[in-house]
Amino acid sequence: MNARKPWVGQSIKRKEDHRLLIGQGQYVADLTLPRMAVVGFVRSPHAHARIVRIDADAARALPGVLAVVTGQDTAHLDAILSDLSVPKLPGETKRPIFGPLPIDEVKYVGDLVAAVIAKDRYVLEDAIDLVAVEYAPLPVVVDAEAALAAGAPLLYPEWGDNVVYHQHLQHGDTEAAFAAAAVIVKERFKGHRCGASPMEPRACLARYDVAEGLTVWLTTQRSHIKRHLLGAYFKIPDSKIRVIAPKDVGGGFGVKAPLYREEILICHLAMKVGRPIKWIETRQENLLNIGQERDQIHELELAVAADGTILGLRDRMIANCGDARIPIYVSFAMPWLGMMYLPNGYVIPNVDIDLTCVVTNKAGLTPSRSFGSFTGRFAIDRIVDIAAFRLGIDPLVMREKNCIKTFPYVTATGLNVDSGDFVGALKKLKAAIDYDAFRAEQQAARANGRYLGLGLSLGIEFSGLSSQILVPMERQPGFGVATIRFDANGQVQVAHGDQPQGQGHDTTLSQVVADELGITPDDIYVISGDTQAAPFAAGTLASRMGGYTISAAVMAARGLKPKLIAIARHLLQLTVDDSAFEFSAGAVRLIASPERHISLQRIAETALLAPTELPPGMEGGLDHTAHFEADTTGMHSCNVHAVTVEVFPDSGRFKILRYVAVDDAGRPINPTIVRGQLHGGIALGISNACLEEFVYTAEGDQLTRSLQEYLIASARDLPHIETHEHNVPTPHNPLGSKGKGEGPTGMVPGALGNALADALAPFGVRITEMPFTPERLWRLIEAARSVTAAANHDSALTRGAN
Amino acid sequence: MKREITVTINDEVHTATVEHRYLLVDFIREVAGATGTHVGCGFEGRCGTCTVVVDGQAVKSCLMLAVQADGAKLLTIEGLARGDEMHPLQAAFRDLHGLQCGFCTPGFLLTLYDFLKDPIDSEDAIRQAMSGVLCRCTGYVHIVAAVRQAIAVLAAMTPAERARWFPL
Repeated sequence: MNARKPWVGQSIKRKEDHRLLIGQGQYVADLTLPRMAVVGFVRSPHAHARIVRIDADAARALPGVLAVVTGQDTAHLDAILSDLSVPKLPGETKRPIFGPLPIDEVKYVGDLVAAVIAKDRYVLEDAIDLVAVEYAPLPVVVDAEAALAAGAPLLYPEWGDNVVYHQHLQHGDTEAAFAAAAVIVKERFKGHRCGASPMEPRACLARYDVAEGLTVWLTTQRSHIKRHLLGAYFKIPDSKIRVIAPKDVGGGFGVKAPLYREEILICHLAMKVGRPIKWIETRQENLLNIGQERDQIHELELAVAADGTILGLRDRMIANCGDARIPIYVSFAMPWLGMMYLPNGYVIPNVDIDLTCVVTNKAGLTPSRSFGSFTGRFAIDRIVDIAAFRLGIDPLVMREKNCIKTFPYVTATGLNVDSGDFVGALKKLKAAIDYDAFRAEQQAARANGRYLGLGLSLGIEFSGLSSQILVPMERQPGFGVATIRFDANGQVQVAHGDQPQGQGHDTTLSQVVADELGITPDDIYVISGDTQAAPFAAGTLASRMGGYTISAAVMAARGLKPKLIAIARHLLQLTVDDSAFEFSAGAVRLIASPERHISLQRIAETALLAPTELPPGMEGGLDHTAHFEADTTGMHSCNVHAVTVEVFPDSGRFKILRYVAVDDAGRPINPTIVRGQLHGGIALGISNACLEEFVYTAEGDQLTRSLQEYLIASARDLPHIETHEHNVPTPHNPLGSKGKGEGPTGMVPGALGNALADALAPFGVRITEMPFTPERLWRLIEAARSVTAAANHDSALTRGAN
Repeated sequence: MKREITVTINDEVHTATVEHRYLLVDFIREVAGATGTHVGCGFEGRCGTCTVVVDGQAVKSCLMLAVQADGAKLLTIEGLARGDEMHPLQAAFRDLHGLQCGFCTPGFLLTLYDFLKDPIDSEDAIRQAMSGVLCRCTGYVHIVAAVRQAIAVLAAMTPAERARWFPL
């Protein structure tokens, strides 16, 4: 009877897809309310300027315009950042003071200046154009190192400098490690400004009425946190605010996790104007303001013994945080976590990292898939290769030697790596990429003037963040939460705190609960995103679902089982133990004689409609909520990637020949969904590393305001992506499952950078900066060629700085 | 400047007086209420999620004025299925996880609808055909697989059966 194959581990088709494929998805942009008006923003064309005068008369006079609101009109509102919305991390923190609209100064191109409310979007755009703003330009600082120099223009003069956050993290005896090193490799790595702009821009629809209070439909990853922050800001009880992330949000990737100034302002305007107000962010606004991350410099040093063993690491890390006016993250939470992940999957016992987070006249940083670690991962995987090259050690052997091998392992930065198998994964990767054959092919190709390269990366991926990390970082709980509630017809509702933006949470949660209760995924429906229906949680971030929220759903189901059994036992008029029962085929049944059973439908009907038939003294109702917090500070997966490329030195163009990932999902709930996460994460990494860049001029102008300039990879720009499973279940949750999503992206730049360096080793080209554009590669090759022009060609072929 | 126009969207006739500058995508979403067609870029035609079929050709509806579609027949994502039966392309997307958040999906379906009328079954050709639509979630791998399935399913049909799935 119980021989049914578990739902967990099966690639069942997604429950979400039917509505999306027939055009019945519902995104914020699709919602319309009676008397709804639209809002849009006048934004700064200057990187830093004083607002001298705003003349909105012509705009106000335009038929269909309801209001133009400037900083003067909102000057009475509180400062946006509060103790609730600023990270409390070790180190020195400063806090920008600002309101929803600037009163007299703009700090980057795209900064808010005024809000316009109109009856329709066409009138709105006309009116925005009619608002005349006079600016007096102020000195601009765009470069992070320039912003640290004495006499640099100050973003927040009251600070006395441009440092929003600083931490010096030391562990072990780095001095001794460097003194003992056979080789010290030092390199300066630079990550460019790019991120995760989702295809759906931000959207917000706010309505206020005296009975319900404020209702906000929002493209958000975290309804409850936003409700709480909005309540604290407006001094309205949480009960009078309802935040709803609709069932469909068009991608998030971290970008929809912060609370934004616009959202606060729109709530204020809805209350002030007495109409529902809707904002659909334009792509230009999106590219000027959000989705920007990764802007870091690492001056990295690695101390290595003669046999290749890594002894220690030093890094002077500088993050360009832009204006930093982003609640919850204040732009420095990402670089901070990036610092914590710097040693990554390598055993590096001694570290000395100095992190300086600098404000400049660029947009603030917003979280983007790979949260703070994209550039650091590039740097560490590159420097490991450079060290290996110096020592004449194969990069695969170098990784086998230095990867984490015993679990749990605590990194020198304090992260707990609970489980995984790098050695096994590398072995699988070596076979999958056909390592030895590729090396032979590479040698033969070089002899023919063709430049092939292979690059590896190795990394840990968090599976949610525990409360020990998330509370100081964001003052938010790490727990996953789920409520399981039976309907009177026996259907099962799962309400949880991690609303999806495409990850398939409805499907995976249904699979998990179906197994626990002996039902099918179709017997289950899933609710999230609405603060009036979903339980409180931090929301969708840090790949929490697979590790934490799935586990909460399992615990909620298990928590309900004793009651389900007790009712079944009573209705069957038995006295046997709980262990005599099983859940299968939609019923609670006696294991010894499965024909003796009570259907879950009958149990639910009894508990909800006929409590008189329950065992004496039992409460009616049939639901259970569980909060899951792992008994460890960190669950991680251990992943390895390889990429092969061919570089064409005369143009600097290159082609990715193969991309192979060996990935650890612990125990995949739905392997196809896991693969989809890997494909998307890797595609984002390739697109970031090769094509995307938010370009600022020295004067702070932003040149990448459309998708014609900010290049997101199309299908034609990307290779096929191969994935292989190498799963090691975590011992810290009921199913052993690990989260997926955040990790794959950060694996890309190291692997790709190493592949390019490997291909161009005959030229002695150093790959230390992104993006990997043909122009950058061509310049590096040309520079190397001019240096080696005088040298003997044969010796040039064998030297190489890698 | 305004003009009365008539546009047929998924066999439903819509007549409205619109400004000349009114975009076709807004007509589809606001006048016809067919919100399955999405807007993801600054009306610059790059994201492709607004792609619909106009008189048999895939068109980015943010790059066309509604008045230019006066008298035209449109097919949008809402019109692809036949009753409860999904278009082979929709079914393939579902079978092979060709979508995640679903925001770009209408653009892929309608772009590929056009491609599938006379498809080339190679990975390169498929990637080329869909390069006008951007997806941030899937890395395109499962979309390519879905297109190949749809090509195979359609190829196995009789011409009459196949024609049923391409009304425009």
